[in-house]
Amino acid sequence: MSRPRIGVDLVPLSRVSELLDPEVGPVLGRFLSAEESAASRTPDGAPDHAGIAGRLAAKEAVFKLFGAVGRPVPWQGIEILRGPGGRPVVRLSGSATELATSVGLGPIDVSISHDGGFAIAVAAATTSADH
Amino acid sequence: MSSAGIDKVRDWILGRHPDRTELAADVDLIESRLVDSLAFVELVYTIEDAAGIEIDFDAIDIEDFQTLATIEKAFFA
Repeated sequence: MSRPRIGVDLVPLSRVSELLDPEVGPVLGRFLSAEESAASRTPDGAPDHAGIAGRLAAKEAVFKLFGAVGRPVPWQGIEILRGPGGRPVVRLSGSATELATSVGLGPIDVSISHDGGFAIAVAAATTSADH
Repeated sequence: MSSAGIDKVRDWILGRHPDRTELAADVDLIESRLVDSLAFVELVYTIEDAAGIEIDFDAIDIEDFQTLATIEKAFFA
């Protein structure tokens, strides 16, 4: 029997500013795939802080669906891409696919919102796992 | 005596938490919320920089990153 499972995460936009600080080094590339990085820019080519924060929140929200306690978030394996009409879609690869399969996760839906210096994301799916 | 590398890692963690002035080697960095999931990636980067190595993120054993002691044993011993 399938059961619903949700994940939620909140990321302050200030954290994105920290990650973009040149003194920190090229860390953001560890979080975002090339396709995500390209989609995380404003029309004038600047980093879209709200978009990046929303993407990071969505990745972590999806990771929470896996129930993988004690594992690092496979940031690159959980891609949040722009779907039809601008709705976010999830693409899994590598260890993220294995984690999703291990708990019998069905299709994943995510929703992202930004306000007041924060981005929040909720991910939902059904699982065939008992817990 | 601790290595210069692990001192760099300790300084980086303390730099993120100005309310703390010291960090014992056996404090669980994740359980105590000194390192969250976003900061974990920065921690890996800091260790790589301090140790002069590259860490395969997909092959990470989280236990190696649990405390300063485990980090030192795994990457600076």
